Amino acid sequence: MLVKRTYTRRQAGALLGAGLAALFLSGAPRAGDAPRTHKIDIQKFKFAPAALTIKAGDSVEWTNHDIAPHTATHEEGSWDTGTLSRGESAAQTFETPGTYSYFCAFHPQMTGTLTVEA
Amino acid sequence: MINKKTCAAALVAFAFSMPAVAEEPMNDLEIAHTAYTAGQIDIRYAHLALALSQNDDVRAFAATMVRDHTAVNDAAGALITELNVTPQDNGLSQALVKGAGEKVEELTGLRGKAFDCAYATNELGYHQVVNQTVEGKFIPNTTVEPLKELLTDALATFKQHEKHAENMVSSLKCS
Repeated sequence: MLVKRTYTRRQAGALLGAGLAALFLSGAPRAGDAPRTHKIDIQKFKFAPAALTIKAGDSVEWTNHDIAPHTATHEEGSWDTGTLSRGESAAQTFETPGTYSYFCAFHPQMTGTLTVEA
Repeated sequence: MINKKTCAAALVAFAFSMPAVAEEPMNDLEIAHTAYTAGQIDIRYAHLALALSQNDDVRAFAATMVRDHTAVNDAAGALITELNVTPQDNGLSQALVKGAGEKVEELTGLRGKAFDCAYATNELGYHQVVNQTVEGKFIPNTTVEPLKELLTDALATFKQHEKHAENMVSSLKCS
C-alpha cells in the first residue's frame, strides 16, 4: 500500500538538511575517492609508465603511439586489451587488489606492472 | 669457413652497397620505393616461415614480421597517397627483389631445424643491413619531413626485430 505524505516547507527543509548530513556522516563517496582513469602510453616499444600503482576500482587506459601494433596482456591471461593499432586505446578496470604483470603479446620483451591497492 | 649467417648478410649487404647506389645518393621517391620493397620482402619470408616451420617461436616471430611490416607499409602507402607521389623503382629495389627470389628458393627446399636456422639467420642478417642503411643513408638523405619521420619510426620497429632475431638465432642453437 502506498502512503502519500505531505510536508510543510519547514518540514521539507529539515528533512533535506538531515538527509545531506546523513550522507556526509555515513562516509559516502566524495569527489576525491571517485574512481580514476590512469593513462599509459605505448611508445618506442615501451609502456610508460612501466610501473603504476592505482586504487581498486580505478581504470587504466593504454594508448599505442607506435606504428607497430601492440597489446597489453596479463601474464596470467585474465585480461587483454586486444590489438591496438597506432592511435588506438583500450581501458581495463581493476576491482581486485594485487600485483598484475603484463606484456605485449606481439613483442614479449615489452613488460609492465600494475599494483592495485585496496 | 663462411657460415650461413655470413652468407645471408653478405647477400643483402651486396645489394645495399651496389656501386650505382653508393656513388649517387637516392632521392626521396627512390628511398620510399626501396623501404617499401624491403618490407614486402620480409613479409614474403615470413609467410614462407608460417607455411613451413613447426617451431612455435619461429612462427610467432614470423607472425610479428607480417603484422609489423604490414603496418609500416600501410603507413607508407597512406603517406604516398597524401603526398600524391609515385615511388620510383631503382637498382637497389631490383637487386633486393632478385636476392630475395634466390633466398626464397633456397629456403623452400629446407625443412625442420635446417629451415628454422636458415630463416632466423637470414632475418638477423637482413635486419642488420637494412637498419644500417635506413639509419646511415635513407634518413640522412631524405628531404621530405613526413617521410623522414616515418623512416625514423620504422627504424625503431626494425631494431626491435633485429634484437628479436638475434635472440631467436641464439635459442635455436644454429651454429
